[in-house]
Amino acid sequence: MGKETPMADELEKGPWPSFIKEIKRAAEKHPSANDLLKVVERSYKDKVTHWKHGGIVGVTGYGGGVIGRYSDVPEEFPSVAAFHTFRVNHPSGWFYTTKKLRQICDVWEKYGSGLTNFHGSTGDIILLGSPTENLQPCFDALSGIGFDLGGSGSVLRTPTGCVGPARCEWSCIDTLNVIYDLTMEFQDELHRPRWPYKFKIKASGCPNDCVAAIARADFTIIGTWRDSLRIDQDAVREYAEGGLNVEKLVVGKCPTGALEWDEKARELKLKPQDCVRCMHCINKMPKAVRPGLDHGATILIGGKAPILKGANLSWVLIPFIKLEPPYTEIKDLLLKIWDWWDEHGRTRERVAELIQRLGLKTFLRAVGIKPVPQMVNQPRANPYVFF
Amino acid sequence: MSEELRQKILEYLATVSKAKNRDVARAVGEEKRLVDKAIAELSKEGKVEYIYLDTSYVKLKDKG
Amino acid sequence: MAKTDIGPPDFREMLPEVIKKNYGKWKYHEIVKPGVLKHVSETGDVLYTVRAGSPRLVSVDFIRDICDIADKYCDGHLRFTSRYNIEFMTPDKNKVEPLIEEVGKLGLPVGGTGKCITNVVHTQGWIHCHSAATDASAVVKAIMDELYDHFTSMKLPAQLRISLACCINMCGAVHCSDLAVVGVHTKPPKVDHEHLHALCEIPTTIASCPTGAIRRHSDKEIKSVKVREDLCMYCGNCFTVCPAMPLADPEGDGVAIYAGGKVSNARKPPMFSRLIVPYLPNNPPRWPEVVSTLKKIIGVYAEHAQEDERMGEWIQRVGWETFFRLTDIPFTEQHIDDFTHAVETYRTTTQFRW
Repeated sequence: MGKETPMADELEKGPWPSFIKEIKRAAEKHPSANDLLKVVERSYKDKVTHWKHGGIVGVTGYGGGVIGRYSDVPEEFPSVAAFHTFRVNHPSGWFYTTKKLRQICDVWEKYGSGLTNFHGSTGDIILLGSPTENLQPCFDALSGIGFDLGGSGSVLRTPTGCVGPARCEWSCIDTLNVIYDLTMEFQDELHRPRWPYKFKIKASGCPNDCVAAIARADFTIIGTWRDSLRIDQDAVREYAEGGLNVEKLVVGKCPTGALEWDEKARELKLKPQDCVRCMHCINKMPKAVRPGLDHGATILIGGKAPILKGANLSWVLIPFIKLEPPYTEIKDLLLKIWDWWDEHGRTRERVAELIQRLGLKTFLRAVGIKPVPQMVNQPRANPYVFF
Repeated sequence: MSEELRQKILEYLATVSKAKNRDVARAVGEEKRLVDKAIAELSKEGKVEYIYLDTSYVKLKDKG
Repeated sequence: MAKTDIGPPDFREMLPEVIKKNYGKWKYHEIVKPGVLKHVSETGDVLYTVRAGSPRLVSVDFIRDICDIADKYCDGHLRFTSRYNIEFMTPDKNKVEPLIEEVGKLGLPVGGTGKCITNVVHTQGWIHCHSAATDASAVVKAIMDELYDHFTSMKLPAQLRISLACCINMCGAVHCSDLAVVGVHTKPPKVDHEHLHALCEIPTTIASCPTGAIRRHSDKEIKSVKVREDLCMYCGNCFTVCPAMPLADPEGDGVAIYAGGKVSNARKPPMFSRLIVPYLPNNPPRWPEVVSTLKKIIGVYAEHAQEDERMGEWIQRVGWETFFRLTDIPFTEQHIDDFTHAVETYRTTTQFRW
């Protein structure tokens, strides 16, 4: 390849693993990966993208899961003239057997560019770059090894959840199971777009929110507990003796002053009614402080990125709900939300934007949830009240 | 799924370039959830397909 | 005909034995050293995790390489984190060091735990996106080459999450990151009046604009649209619907930097990232202006923040005026919000610092 791609080659240097190296690896077997390298070099030179959006691409029976992509310089780079992407639904928690991973590699080596994202920012496995004629056979092969497409367009997007009880002591809900269960229940909503715009579900096992559910999901599930923190005083003392400044770094950082350090008794005291379950003391002393035992979830609504009317963090909808299979209450709630949004939403209006336009009160009535103070930071200040 | 509903949906889609399911439901005067189901069936049979512009729409397969 | 709607593989079939046995029974964990976690179960079982950085855009041969490691040391199982890191898990302490060695042979860093800078969540950029105002993978590579030591160590006041979105659609939802790099267009779309009618549906194009800046062309003979440039904030939504409205521009496109967001509820509630640098040029292949700006901000943060204080918590404590003074970043009219939630950001107290 020599000096054809000097700027891309520059990105092979340096300690962080190089994606250019990976493109070159794929290019040894796939002409399309070789052309991709040249397209990228061209973009570095021109400082613009060389991809076009659009066209109807997909597989029979699906309205999403394939992103259509075409080169704007197809004559120069014919093997990426059409270079479509598959979103493949990952297993909950991104756990894999090597057998499954190798199967997916074999399929993609046969039908695509040999390049992937593990994973995309949606959470899906991304298979990057397939010509149009390979889409259906590639999908058939994926289905044959037990994989299915994720969401794209105005559908339920691929639900994601954190590692949860599989490998985290803080998880108050079974994130992997609730995500898998909802994904299986709503396959039709995931694959066949029918709504004003996209809808995302994410579940984090505790308020640390490792999958950014509160920022990224229209329907946010965050594990929490109703009873008191569990404190092992011997373990607290061990942390103190090990050099942790409990007074300053644990008690002093508690956002509600719910903790006290009794220096004499060497005991950490908690005023349970003041604890807002922020996780700080637990994060600092995982061996000594643990979530309570009355586990459940807080459900929040409306998190999204800026497009169209500005970014939102999700708003509290249900302060506490028990989250047990078959998750009937959650499923019924989702169906009510979708019906209301689908009925009233304008094109490209996310559920949060519709709530802003029509009012939280209207939304709560529609889904049959009674207002509680946990839903607001403070009540209204203005006197323009409707009765 | 009633054959009549499927037929009504296909007839409506023949008159438009693309539509949201909600518009299809209004046009054929049927409950949205039933229309969603019928369109899903038609898509699996390859009779309708989806297009993504600013949002996703449904259309007759291969209709310009 | 392939089966449809089968859904993803059942996660239960993907879990290693030790996890199946201790599912929901984990008691506590510790970070043994950067990149190595030790989880201890109520049953007494122990699980070690070795976390490795990944370029995210990888070939199938890369996946096979990491599968080889997992076959050798982890009974054929592995997982990925929500930030693209690869995790190798084993109950056997004696396998940890050999694992680290094998991962190193692949050229992958071990780290990404605790008070570090872990992998950068990012979008597709010029690799694959039609609306990208900057590249993603190259900028991330340039950033992580410079910040590499922060991945493999845990020396910061708190964890620092960097994310990158290649346009303001913010696919990666970077709006709640300690530091967010966002590709920006700064010029309105150039309308191709000659081809627009053939390529685009005019009503759909008009409806696509979030600020109502697109109107029908005033001359009825011309079947096209006009853009009110004073209303355009360069989001590229019209271009997604209508290819005859390109807005990419080699000189106008660049990168903005936002700071101080987080999603965790620990201590202070989740918060948005806020604009700190409205524009830096695209300068491939290594974006030196972006990298040096991030390094400077991280340096100031590391020097001034208290222990366990995230970027946004530190800025809230010392005030944005102090942040701009310490980082020597100019405050401009672009920093003042004029979109939907603007007035909530205007100061309504006489309390501030100099």
